[in-house]
Amino acid sequence: MNRKSADIVVIGGGVVGCATAFELARLGCKNVVLVERNTIASGSTGRCGAGVRQQFGTELNCVLAREAVRIFEHMDEYLDYEPGVEFRQSGYLMLAYSDQQWEQFQRNVELERSLDIDVKMLTPEGAREIVPFLDLEGMVGATFCQTDGHANPFHTAFAYAQAAKRLGAEILTHTSVMDIEVENNKIQAVVTDKGRIATSAVVNCAGAYSAKIAKMAGIDLPVWGERHQILITEPVEAMMGPMVISFHHDFYCQQTPHGSFIMGIGMPGEPKSFNIRSSVDFLEGMANTVMKILPPLGNLRVVRQWAGLYDMSPDAQPILGECPPIEGFYNANGFSGHGFMVSPIVGQAMAELIILGKSSVDISKLDAGRFERGELVFEPAVVG
Amino acid sequence: MRQAETTRTVNLLKEVDVAVIGAGPAGLAAALACAEAGVSTLLIDANDAPGGQLVKQTHKFFGSERQHAGTRGIQIPSLFTEKLANYPNVEIMWNTNASGFYDSGELVLEDEKRFMKILPKRMIVAAGASERFLIFRNNDLPGVYGAGAVQTLMNVYGVVPGDRVMMIGSGNIGLIVSYQLIQAGVDVAAVVEAAPCIGGYLVHAAKLRRAGVPILTSHTVLAAHGQESVTGATIAEVDKEWQPMPGTEREVECDVICLAVGLMPLVDVLWHAGCEMKYVPELGGHVPVRDENMRTSNPKVYAAGDSGGVEEASSAMVTGEIAGISAAKSLGHQAPGADARLAQLKADLAAIRSGPTGEKISAGVRCATVCGGVWE
Ligand SMILES: Cc1cc2nc3c(=O)[nH]c(=O)nc-3n(C[C@H](O)[C@H](O)[C@H](O)COP(=O)(O)OP(=O)(O)OC[C@H]3O[C@@H](n4cnc5c(N)ncnc54)[C@H](O)[C@@H]3O)c2cc1C
Ligand SMILES: Cc1cc2nc3c(=O)[nH]c(=O)nc-3n(C[C@H](O)[C@H](O)[C@H](O)COP(=O)(O)OP(=O)(O)OC[C@H]3O[C@@H](n4cnc5c(N)ncnc54)[C@H](O)[C@@H]3O)c2cc1C
Repeated sequence: MNRKSADIVVIGGGVVGCATAFELARLGCKNVVLVERNTIASGSTGRCGAGVRQQFGTELNCVLAREAVRIFEHMDEYLDYEPGVEFRQSGYLMLAYSDQQWEQFQRNVELERSLDIDVKMLTPEGAREIVPFLDLEGMVGATFCQTDGHANPFHTAFAYAQAAKRLGAEILTHTSVMDIEVENNKIQAVVTDKGRIATSAVVNCAGAYSAKIAKMAGIDLPVWGERHQILITEPVEAMMGPMVISFHHDFYCQQTPHGSFIMGIGMPGEPKSFNIRSSVDFLEGMANTVMKILPPLGNLRVVRQWAGLYDMSPDAQPILGECPPIEGFYNANGFSGHGFMVSPIVGQAMAELIILGKSSVDISKLDAGRFERGELVFEPAVVG
Repeated sequence: MRQAETTRTVNLLKEVDVAVIGAGPAGLAAALACAEAGVSTLLIDANDAPGGQLVKQTHKFFGSERQHAGTRGIQIPSLFTEKLANYPNVEIMWNTNASGFYDSGELVLEDEKRFMKILPKRMIVAAGASERFLIFRNNDLPGVYGAGAVQTLMNVYGVVPGDRVMMIGSGNIGLIVSYQLIQAGVDVAAVVEAAPCIGGYLVHAAKLRRAGVPILTSHTVLAAHGQESVTGATIAEVDKEWQPMPGTEREVECDVICLAVGLMPLVDVLWHAGCEMKYVPELGGHVPVRDENMRTSNPKVYAAGDSGGVEEASSAMVTGEIAGISAAKSLGHQAPGADARLAQLKADLAAIRSGPTGEKISAGVRCATVCGGVWE
């Protein structure tokens, strides 16, 4: 390794680390180094469903997602990325299966509309106009936001990484962070298996492994890994526009631009772990659930199943910002299953916070200190 | 799209002593050995008939006599199935794909209609190999075939792939398939080979030369041409680094480009089973590390035939039988004389691999054998 020092070291080459490195370089930080132990997008990013939605139950999440969508809409130009990140705004159709849930959805829509997010409320029959083969049994209502969508997670991470490099950031892959040197509560250096990088600032974007990184700096960070599984079918003609999601079934399903259907469900009782092996229970549970909600998909062959980790936090919300008492130690992790969609705005906010001392979107409520203060953020709209 | 009423999950978890994946020569030999040892055996193949690659081999076999040399490949499967039919402890599932093996020990099978789970005490993976592909412009045009596919078309279905074929690769498969094409009345424009010398046996090459087919060594294909399907190709000479030399490009008229550029072991289920794998170019790619009883690092999983490294049909039958005897033995079952038979098979295998063409394979096998020859 030639590099002996850096202004800032970003740990983790997932979409969050890549976006953060790019935004830091864009704000003029010339000496950014991103350290990734494997390859870009090899963690949760390359394993995710890559859905992007703005339908949330808290103002903060709505605003973060809305701002992220605004970046996604112009991302190819913004990052000058010729292959394109394949952002498609084909909407999110969210299904409600109880009166209680439907009431919550209606409250969400009110909030979303007040924040300039255009969401429609639909009857089950209205939902069927959007997805004609939707099974309506037990469904009470649905909400639909056309500007929600999905992007290609590999391209998104590559686009940020390449753009960061062009602005002078250095990206070190196949390099593992082994230790972080701290003196008098100040970061001194990041020690990797390929050498030591002297620095005074670290951004911890290590996904599910973020607690291990924090530990190296002597910090107890309440972030852990939780396996989530997903599968993809053979490609067929375009027949379903939006991402279909149901909290009741803990289910989501989307047809990719390539034509294959990608889908996941949460598995009850999943323990804290770094396990990313596939299970047959998921395959069966997934098949049974999707055949209930979208019956014709039962005819498709499964091409592949895989698993990835959610980087969970105690309130299932991200942990963003500096982490006292260690000066120069920043977190951007704990995304709990919705980190891809907010990554563009998280990268911007982190860079602004680090370079300018303040971010344009207020993320102060998402600091690590909230757990000690007992100020957890409650988001009623999450899916596994 | 049809409604999915025909697709059903069968939740019955069927238990079996040994599941054998693949009914090519390796799987057939493995299943027969298990049958003789008296363990309950389930033989699974994605095809509708036994034999794997053998079904396309109308030529007489080279190789050792005990492994049916002189017999035509297509005749071998029935020798096994006739014997297997006598064993009530054997069940065979055709048209069934083994699609996954999970940490829970469950093997997942599917056919057109059903999804099934099996709980095998032992698993023998004899899934064979798949054909390698080449990267060149327009390589997805209809008319670009694998050699195995061309052989299946002709020898199984009696269909010729086109009128004029350009063969890529001068290994035995490329040479044999070229000759079979000529016998079927198809023109072979040329055999193109990137290496400076012919890969296969000279007897096969000589037959082609006599038929007037040029064998162009140090050449490669750069592009396929055509709108709807292949109408021609650009080939060029390559230098010592296998790089095309500018100015040597030339056009070849053909409606089929046939790729005979090697095989790659099919090892997906072995990856699923967490077997220790190693990249061994001499054996065609990633292969499982094994002991001499064909056991992988997963004590429940054995690999035989091309799945353990690309070789040939005779060694596939030998490794299959070794795996079958060993898997049954590990469950406490053994046919009379099994130990002597095992010793004989190991000697046969060494003999098969001892010839001049076996050198490369032997080097590969040494690489892919567990340290000390046995698992701890
Ligand atoms: C099945 C599944 C479906 C999902 N679906 C969605 C979805 O539809 N929408 C959505 O928004 N989100 C979704 N997510 C969540 C999303 O994947 C994550 O929130 C997001 O990718 C987080 O990105 P990241 O960069 O923080 O983490 P990661 O992509 O995990 O990146 C962290 C990186 O850090 C590296 N690293 C770890 N330790 C070290 C070390 N010591 N040294 C160097 N590098 C290290 C890792 O190798 C890894 O590449 C899903 C997740 C899963 C698993
Ligand atoms: C064109 C050609 C010519 C050859 N000529 C000769 C020759 O003259 N002499 C010689 O000794 N050797 C020859 N060989 C080599 C020989 O055929 C192979 O080495 C041998 O067939 C390997 O046997 P196997 O049982 O390992 O695999 P295969 O014969 O490939 O059989 C594998 C079987 O497994 C099944 N299968 C695979 N995956 C699954 C799954 N997931 N679920 C269910 N079923 C599955 C397949 O359908 C197939 O039937 C030739 C090979 C080729 C391709």
